[in-house]
Order: sequence, then structure tokens, then C-alpha cells
Amino acid sequence: MVDPDTNRLAERRRSVAQALDGLFDPGTIAVVGASRTKGKLGQAVLALLKSNGYRGKIIPVNPSGGEIEGLEAVRSLEEIDGPIDVVVLATPVGVALDALETCARLDVKVVVGVTSGFSEAGEDGQENELRLRRIMQNASFRLVGPNCEGVVRPASDLQLTFSPMFNDLRPGPVAMISQSGALAGLMALRLGERGVGINAIVSSGNETDLTAADLLDYLGNDPQTRVVLCYVEELRDGRRFAEVARQLTKAGKHVVAVKGGRSRAGSRAVQSHTGAMAGDDRVISAVFRETGVIRARESVAAVDAVTALASGRQPAGNRVGIISVTGGLGVEMTDLAESAGFEVPVLAETTQSALARYVPFYGSVSNPVDLTGVVLANPTYVGRCLEAVADDPGVDIAIAIITFVPDQQFIEALAEAFDSTGKPILIVWTGAARSNASGEALRERAVPVYDSPARAASGLAALAATTGEVS
Amino acid sequence: MTPRETLESWHCAGRKVVHEADAKDLLQRIGIPVPKRNPAEGRCVAKLCHDDYPHKSDHGLVRLGLSPEEAKRATAEMAQRFPGGTTLIEEMEEGSVAEWIIGCKCDDTFGPIVLAGPGGILVELIDAAEIRLAPAKPQTAESMVRSGPGARMLAGLRGAEPADRGALADLISRISVFFAENADLISEIEINPVMVRADGKGLVAADALIVLSPKTDQQENLT
Repeated sequence: MVDPDTNRLAERRRSVAQALDGLFDPGTIAVVGASRTKGKLGQAVLALLKSNGYRGKIIPVNPSGGEIEGLEAVRSLEEIDGPIDVVVLATPVGVALDALETCARLDVKVVVGVTSGFSEAGEDGQENELRLRRIMQNASFRLVGPNCEGVVRPASDLQLTFSPMFNDLRPGPVAMISQSGALAGLMALRLGERGVGINAIVSSGNETDLTAADLLDYLGNDPQTRVVLCYVEELRDGRRFAEVARQLTKAGKHVVAVKGGRSRAGSRAVQSHTGAMAGDDRVISAVFRETGVIRARESVAAVDAVTALASGRQPAGNRVGIISVTGGLGVEMTDLAESAGFEVPVLAETTQSALARYVPFYGSVSNPVDLTGVVLANPTYVGRCLEAVADDPGVDIAIAIITFVPDQQFIEALAEAFDSTGKPILIVWTGAARSNASGEALRERAVPVYDSPARAASGLAALAATTGEVS
Repeated sequence: MTPRETLESWHCAGRKVVHEADAKDLLQRIGIPVPKRNPAEGRCVAKLCHDDYPHKSDHGLVRLGLSPEEAKRATAEMAQRFPGGTTLIEEMEEGSVAEWIIGCKCDDTFGPIVLAGPGGILVELIDAAEIRLAPAKPQTAESMVRSGPGARMLAGLRGAEPADRGALADLISRISVFFAENADLISEIEINPVMVRADGKGLVAADALIVLSPKTDQQENLT
């Protein structure tokens, strides 16, 4: 028999879009488990939310009330008047479940469950998981997590997480969905260091309610998003994920995915060759390729791919022009580019004569161009040479390789070269940490900068092949 | 009976593995060419098909290159050793230029998929199959016979005649649609090998296997 009350509530259940609109631009956030005690999750969530400059209303919820982080706390969610866009749960699991029951009675759009102790805890979490599922059956709100690291949206100064790995990100074209909070942190920190802008990050945790496919659909279709980066271990609605990805990549967006872990069902006995030949990993690669998803073997390669795609510049072909301040790195970059299926063609006569004005006789103006150490004394030479190579009609992608940089002008000239062309430019800067120069001019422009030829090759592979694999 | 009704009746009867003779009957009804049965002359293949013994060769249940008379004697002998089987005498396909495997199954993550690659003994040697979501549109099936290492074999290695890729793509698309529509009843379907003839000459399914899904009450018992 259907409980009439259940029916009524199920009708009230918000759509994914309604809920996530509220999540990413919230007016009111309640933090359950807000605390004054350093080391508690709720303390970290509240402190990060404040320090990242969120301008909406923050309401700490703590049974002893009082003032926390300079904000007046309520003793319970029920004391809050009016609708609540987001409730963050940062308490032990028992308290979190009680709060979820309260949320089901109130006007809440989204709950972000940082709390752990559900299905991921195996048998110990089983009872909590059952109770959670019962609550969700009747809830009108949507749930992110539980057991997740939170949600970040730089454009809204929104930092709903206990982890400082997501601090100081700038708004931009990359959306990230991760079933692992720690990997989300790793990838966010590296993207941030390279100046790659972030539209939103969701650590999706156990995905009891909102799944990676829901989030891909919503974030991928956001006009601000150019690239979606996904770390997934188990796709619960894999077919929908694939179909959404196909639709997004057809529309010109990029989806880069890392698939971690092996399916537990993989060892099930099979009766046919098909069963044995279509193993989990092969099927994932095949379906990703078919639907236009770029599969990265691990998270750092994924970051490399996203770095290149985020700049929004599409190459017209696979011909690469390489300039380097040293022969060796130019050779390594050439080898990697060629083995990834790129051409490193001889440059046009006019390009070679333009380069000859800067390159001494013991260098090389063919491709890869060896500028030699003479450019260290002439800080704008590398930039001018990059412009010349990018200008060559036979070059689709230009790569500049530099080591240590003695002068800020050096970087500024590279940034100018980037501005002078619409072609994709990659920079390999092996000695950023030993340079008397800041890379800010490059970060501001989201110029893809890598610390080695191999990492740049991952970016290169992603640029040319909107399908395929990067390692 | 429609093909689906046939599947349902097998399912109701509790069959798990559907042997070659029955599987081929069904495939023929969805437009997949199978070898001529009980020919009066020419070289024949003699088989005994039994749900419990899907790997016939392991039990000496396949004999090749027999005359029609020899084939009858061979199947009679097999039937004595394995009671309850269905005998099958078919024309032996000798004009093919490639042996291919086409299979469908439900992937745990992505649902129905279709696979196509070098078949026969080559499935044991190389891992060159192309995999797509099922149902595969004709255009997708076409890409499966023109991608990967197998595509070079189909195009004709070292001056060999190219295989009938159009017919192969049609088969792939057809079986993937049938599987996707009936994935609630079938857990795996496989044709191995498909004997693909030279371009324009078509193909024939030389062996086939259908594995039915566990019945719902059995599934509940499992979990």
C-alpha cells in the first residue's frame, strides 16, 4: 500500500536542475555541525566558507547555540525561518541522519553530506545506509554525497568543503565531478597552479541520490563550461553517463574522464568468448571512444589534458612547430609528439628566414628550432620566435620550451606571442622554480604551461584527438 | 511465433544455454544467413547440438568434410553418446575469406554492447575486437569493420580479396538491435565464426550460441 503522505512528498521532489541552481548560487547556507573546535569538520567548513568571501547568509547550526566564527548560531535547523538553499552536514553520522529527517520536513533545496559512515563503511554502515535511503524516499531536497568532500564554485565564492585544496581558484571553463574527494583536491590544486579557471567542482561521494551522470548533464550543459573533468570509480547509471557525454561532445564540449578501480563483477563466470573479450576495462575504453570522452589513465594526465583544452583553442590539424632554448628538450618533445601521431614538419622558407634573425649559426631553424642559450641574454627573442613559428601556415600547434628564466620580460614576450595568434600554444617551462620571473602573465591568459615534454604531450594528445586516450 | 515469443518460450522452459541448431533457426528469422541444412551432395559438417555441451569440439561433436552419407552416420553415433541432443548436418562453407566473431552482452556499467573481431581460432590469439554500445546504427556497424587491426584483414592482407564488409556491418547492426530489444531475456548472444565471403558474396553464420538471462525468481535467489 502506498502511503498518501509519501506520494505528496515525492511530487514535491525537486528536479536536478532546480536543486543545483540553488546549490551553485545559494542565498542561504546552513552548516550543521558548525563548531568552534579546531580540527572538527564543521569548524573547517565554516571557516573556509567565510575566508573565501561568500557573501550570502551563513547560519551555523550547533545545539549549544551562541556565536561561531562571528556568526550567530541556531540550535537546530527548525529555528531557521524561511527556505534554506543548502544544508551542509558536517557531523558524526547519527546527528547527520537526524538532521536529514529534519530537512525532509523543511523547505531545503540541497543537502551536501560531508559526513561518512554509510555504504562505504561496509557492514558497519549498513544500518545508517538503510535509514538514509528511507529518508531520501520521502525527501523533497536532493543530496550530494554523503561521504564527499563538498562543492566549490569560484564565481559564487562558494567553498562548501573542509579541504583547503580548493582555495583561491579562479572562475573559468572547467567543471569537475569526482567520486573521490582527495583526487578532486589533487586535480583542483594543480589546475589552480596553472591558472586554469574552474566553473564548479562537485565531490559526489557515495552518490546515494545525485550521480555523476546527473552532474555531467547539469554542469556540461552550463554555457560557462567548456571542459568537464570526471574521476569515476563506479558509474551507477553508466548508460546515461555515456549518452550525456555523447550529446555534450557532439555539441563541441570536451569530457575528460579517469576511471579508477575495477568492477567487482568483472570476475563473474562467462559462457562465451564475447564475455571474456569484452572485459570491463576494454568496454570502458571503447564506450568512451565511441561517445567522444577522452580517457586519461590517471589524474595528473587528466589535468594535463584539461589544461590544454581549457584554453578553447582548437588545432586545424596535427602539425606541430617546436622551438626550444636547448636541443635535448626539443628532441624529446619531437619524439613524443611523433609517437603520439603528430607531424613535426620542416618550416616554411619565410619562417626560417624570420627565425634566422634571432638564432645563431650553431643553432637550428628547422623543426624543432634550437634557439640555443643566446636567447638568455635577449629576453624577448623566444617570444618573437614563437610568433614566427605560430605564424607559419604549415603549423597547427606551436610549442615553446624554456628552462630557467633570468628576466620577467621573457615571460611577457611569450604572453604577447600567445595573444598574437589564435592557434593553440603550449609552453614547457622546466625551471619555473629556479626562475627570476612570475608566470602570472601566462596564468592570466590560461596559457597551457607544463613542466616537462611528457606532460605537454598529454595535453597535445587531448588537443588533437577529441577522442582517444592520454597517458 | 515471433522471435521474441520463441525466446520467451525458451525462457519459460528454463533453458539457460540455447544450442546451435535452435540459435541458428532464430538468427535466420531475423535475417542472418545460415548454412543450408541436409544437403544432398557436397561436403558437409556434422554436429550434435546440446544445451549442456556448448563447446562441441571438446566432446567430439563436430566433424568436418564428410559426404552426406558419412554425415548421417556420424550424427547417429554422436546422438548415441549424448542422448537428448539435436543433430545438425549442414553444407560446409568453403568460400570464405575471413572468419569473424560477433557477440553481444550486457555490460555491468553501460548495458547492452556489441563486439566484432577476428573469430575462429584467432579469438584465442589476438585481442583485436571492436566494441560499441548496442543497438549499433548501420553507420556505427560500418565503423566497426573499418577500424582497428581487424579492418586490415577484412580489407585483404597481402593481396587477398577484400571481405564483404557491407554484409558484415549489416549483420552486426541487425544482431545488436535484436539483442538490445531483448536484453531482458538474453544475457549473451554470439556468432563465432561468421564465414565472410569476398566482397559482394555475402556471409554465413557457421556457429551460434544464445545464453538466456536467469529467470527472475532465480535472480532473486542469487542476491
